[in-house]
Amino acid sequence: MSAPPAALSTRAVRAALPVAVLLLGALVLVSLAVGGFPPARIWAGLWQHDELGANVLWNLRLPRLLVAMLVGAALSASGLVMQAFFRNNLASPDLLGVASGGAAGAVIAIGAGWASASLLVLPVCAVLGSLMATGAVLLLARRGTGTERLLLAGVALNALLGAVTSYVLSNSAISYEANARVIFWLLGGLEDRTWEHVEMIAPVLVAAALLWPLGRPMDLLSLGAAEAQSLGVEVRTLRRRMLALATVMTALTTAVAGSVGFVGLVVPHLLRLLVGPEHRRLVPLALVGGAVFVLGCDLLARIAGITHVGIVTSLVGGPFFLWLLRRQR
Amino acid sequence: MNALDLTAATVPDRLAGVSLALAPGTLAGLVGPNGSGKSTLLQVAAGVLSGAGDVAWGGRPLAAIPALERGRLAAWVPQEAHFEFGFTVAAVVAQGRFAHGDDGRGVAEALARFDLTALAERPVNRLSGGERQRVLLARALATGAPLQLWDEPFAALDPRHALEGLKLAGELARGGQTVLFSLHDLRVAHCLDVVIVLHEGGLCAAGPPDEVLTAELLRDVFGVRARNAPGLILELP
Repeated sequence: MSAPPAALSTRAVRAALPVAVLLLGALVLVSLAVGGFPPARIWAGLWQHDELGANVLWNLRLPRLLVAMLVGAALSASGLVMQAFFRNNLASPDLLGVASGGAAGAVIAIGAGWASASLLVLPVCAVLGSLMATGAVLLLARRGTGTERLLLAGVALNALLGAVTSYVLSNSAISYEANARVIFWLLGGLEDRTWEHVEMIAPVLVAAALLWPLGRPMDLLSLGAAEAQSLGVEVRTLRRRMLALATVMTALTTAVAGSVGFVGLVVPHLLRLLVGPEHRRLVPLALVGGAVFVLGCDLLARIAGITHVGIVTSLVGGPFFLWLLRRQR
Repeated sequence: MNALDLTAATVPDRLAGVSLALAPGTLAGLVGPNGSGKSTLLQVAAGVLSGAGDVAWGGRPLAAIPALERGRLAAWVPQEAHFEFGFTVAAVVAQGRFAHGDDGRGVAEALARFDLTALAERPVNRLSGGERQRVLLARALATGAPLQLWDEPFAALDPRHALEGLKLAGELARGGQTVLFSLHDLRVAHCLDVVIVLHEGGLCAAGPPDEVLTAELLRDVFGVRARNAPGLILELP
């Protein structure tokens, strides 16, 4: 697993972030305009000249768009952090089971009926589930972080957590309605996301701000923990922070959108190929790039009439990742 | 004030109560058979492996030195490194200045010193073993740290680069830095100020090479017989 020399020139590398931001801006405009509702009325709605247009814009399209962007940013940044943490290109929240942990926590919360008690219950349970999964990966992968061991730990955890979810679904004590909610939620997606969901995932912005200054020490850590420590990095504190941020960000995405696959693997990987491995550059780019990727996939999903964005991210991300792997050899 | 003090440094099954002291400006070699604890001793001295016993740099207990300051006071070169990510050679060497606020000072000189200037923009995960070793040494040099701890720094190097590395270590020591490195080639031991012999995790002998590397010690510790004979001598032109 090695990245070829940076595919872009120094100037292009420097332009990468502005380009990504512009791309995101363009996608935002297109996402707001495109749909079964006339763009002219959305425009009128922006100025409150059209009541229905305003409703579609403010209560349907905008929350969905914000959730899509935050989910993408969070998953992509989590993947980046986990790859630096485990010094492994293949580490990502979905492959390691951290996303499944969040899903299991959320499914239990919905299945047991706790989720209806408060808006906070679902994200809190998702975070707890993810934290447990992260802890398990750490224990299993403690001796070295060889790819094989790490991925085997992920496979085992994904299977275990999948079984937990299936058990909740198959449990006859759960009402039909709760069951339907679990299934709808499990498939993930951005359909009908409301401002409540935006609030639920908004802490991702705080996590992103906390992640920002860790870029430089992450460079050193990604080449070896002992070396980083001898060069002056407070390794224990850094690793604890990185893991906490990645876990919480992943968990929040599962709480609002179920499991959205491949973002955490594909986006950081692609960005590293384009601009090189320096994290001071990669952290902001991963946040923006992840938002671009999920928003773009959601746009495709809406145009193609696919209800769950996770289907599109995997359909786009899977082949793309295989192509990247092939190209590297 | 000693540059490095180890007091009863102990790591279960690997290092058994080693005490030693190095004065500033010493060029010291660490020798011993495979598994005698050389790497462990260097890791403990560098503060990247914690064990029982005390470590002090320049008379200050390691525990009292904050992480960032440690990066300025000592440099550690691991025996081998695998680089997962494609940082450029120049970027990795520049990491030696992390504890100095990434000021980039001395990076170009360190690259030149290890013949890496032409490779500066190459990704480190595409280098040969010997080239990687030179990158690690250049990074340690760039730190400018007064205490240099190198784990078999010349094992993967070709004869010329190994000799130049040895020459550099000597120059650093003459300039007041303290260099402790492990080695297997006992024939170069004669250019060291101090030789430290480890055997089965314990300190066996330490002192000037002529006094330490006696025929008895070579037989008892290394299981070899020393004999002076004409042979191939390699030196820098």
